[in-house]
Amino acid sequence: MSNFTTECYQNEYLPLGVSEVNAIVTVTSDGAPGQAEQPEAAEIVIIDTSGSMGTPRRKINAARQATKVAIDCIRDGVAFGVIAGTDVARTVYPTHSTLAIAAPKTRSEAKRALDRLDASGGTAIGSWLTLAGALFATVPGRTCHAILLTDGENQHETDEHLDGVLAEVEGRFQCDCRGVGTDWMVSELRRIAAALLGSVDIIAEPEAMADDFHALMQAAMGKATRNVSLRLWTPQGATVAFVRQVAPAIEELTGRGVQVNPLTADYPTATWGRESRDYHVCINVPPREVGDEMLAARVSLVEGEEPRAQALIKAIWTDDRRLSTHINREVAHYTGQAELADCIQQGLEARKEGDLASATFKLGRAVQLATESGNEGTMKLLQAVVQVDDAATGTVRLKHEITPLDEMSLDTRSTATVRVGSAAT
Amino acid sequence: MTVTCPGGHESRATDYCDQCGAPIPAGPPAAGATEVLPALDEIDTSPAARREPCPACGAPRSGDDRYCEGCGFDFHGPPPAAGAWEAVVTADRAQFDRLAVAGMSFPAGYAQRKFVLAEGENRIGRSRGRPDELAPEIDLAMEPADPGVSRLHAALERRSDGVVVLRDLGSTNGTMVNDDPVPIAPETPLPLTDGDRVRVGAWTTITLRKR
Repeated sequence: MSNFTTECYQNEYLPLGVSEVNAIVTVTSDGAPGQAEQPEAAEIVIIDTSGSMGTPRRKINAARQATKVAIDCIRDGVAFGVIAGTDVARTVYPTHSTLAIAAPKTRSEAKRALDRLDASGGTAIGSWLTLAGALFATVPGRTCHAILLTDGENQHETDEHLDGVLAEVEGRFQCDCRGVGTDWMVSELRRIAAALLGSVDIIAEPEAMADDFHALMQAAMGKATRNVSLRLWTPQGATVAFVRQVAPAIEELTGRGVQVNPLTADYPTATWGRESRDYHVCINVPPREVGDEMLAARVSLVEGEEPRAQALIKAIWTDDRRLSTHINREVAHYTGQAELADCIQQGLEARKEGDLASATFKLGRAVQLATESGNEGTMKLLQAVVQVDDAATGTVRLKHEITPLDEMSLDTRSTATVRVGSAAT
Repeated sequence: MTVTCPGGHESRATDYCDQCGAPIPAGPPAAGATEVLPALDEIDTSPAARREPCPACGAPRSGDDRYCEGCGFDFHGPPPAAGAWEAVVTADRAQFDRLAVAGMSFPAGYAQRKFVLAEGENRIGRSRGRPDELAPEIDLAMEPADPGVSRLHAALERRSDGVVVLRDLGSTNGTMVNDDPVPIAPETPLPLTDGDRVRVGAWTTITLRKR
């Protein structure tokens, strides 16, 4: 059974009359595999086989190869399958409507089935997810995870249909989404990944797909704990302003809480391997008097119903301004990282709409924030889109020619954050 | 197994109250928490409990304590004078619903509090918890505290002739009596009788009782 530990970073001192309490909670799992009770996994790879995947041919070839690499990572005993998606979904392997159990024989059968895969047809991602959900339902009790690869927009079904499917399959499996090339829509895949607690990323060149699938499947096999929720208790009269994961990437959780009782809600965090994540919790509590202390939130990690670790977020009111005006370093850092992601997404949106003044301002602010926090990955992506004159003040010029790849890479990876202390000192 | 927080809530968590978040002091309750009593229906009155209630306020006597935790009555002293008055503080749902103050929630599980009126002035209010202040005799500062109650809101004067007189001390939100929606005039004494209800703040109702 994995061990969870928590650390809480906050300035618990508040000036009189202030009700907002902010804290960063770091949760670390040692990823120790469970003993006998370790949950078995189920894995599905969903490959887009629409007509566009065949032009150029190397796209479908690379997808085939990457899926084979992923299948080789699946350990014996794991239920698995492969779905080919066009305007309809069909199972490539196994051929009956359930999943196969991984073993040398089934793995080689699956790889042979992939060789017969060809590209023709449209794109209806909702139908792919529906089939994945139905296949996962045949292996109850397993930790279900899928990898979804597409190269285009969801053209053959409506947004409403996709939303309906997401509501249907949400919580039944986790899904990492990958877009290859530049003809897919970042917002669409982000919506799917957010609902299904997975990641979203761009694969620029088809040949990079195999490495990525390898890493995704390795990580999935390393998940030792599933069904973990962040449980948040707040006192009477308090309201949760927001709960968001802020590292390794920003994920808004606020709307995803499931009420356990009037004072407690659970926020899903899916599966955990050996990893560490940071959460920013912001609570509004009824203000009290000088010297009063109260517990503003109790944050615990629960596996099923079993509490595994907890952190306490406190509030103490003081009239000593030296205590109350200090902003905690971690809170300030992640507030900045969230603003960075917002600035990039708003800046790119403004640029698309032709509002170049807003785009310049927003992306300039993003450059400033990325520099301050030492977020080199994001800074590098920003430099492909803007000419930086002065990073410290956020003075930039928009580049005239921006490749779709640079723009989509920046958009997709805008939510990646760095931890405190990354800035060069 | 539950503990009682300084605000009077039953809490299963023993570090901070799982209702209001107030810190729960370790060991015996702090001196400031003594006027918090369990609601009447929660007091174990079975013979097995063998707890002698305080003759002045009815709070159960804990062990062989000389002084009552509820009102400070001296168990070794003379019996309480006949004609003693007490003020019983409760949270009134109907009053809260009628006022319907935006952004405020009704305190769940509010424990009834009792104060025995001393002769002279018994001020009603909310202390700031500062060491240099003279806290009101009927201090409603403890959680869940009614934010509509002023620091010094009103006073109940028990006069030597046995009459109790209510006076509003210039409170922000006014003081109402019984079902009259109009607040009484500030600084104007109003004689009360047994069973009268003094309403202050968003939900606080103080019922006057003659023993």
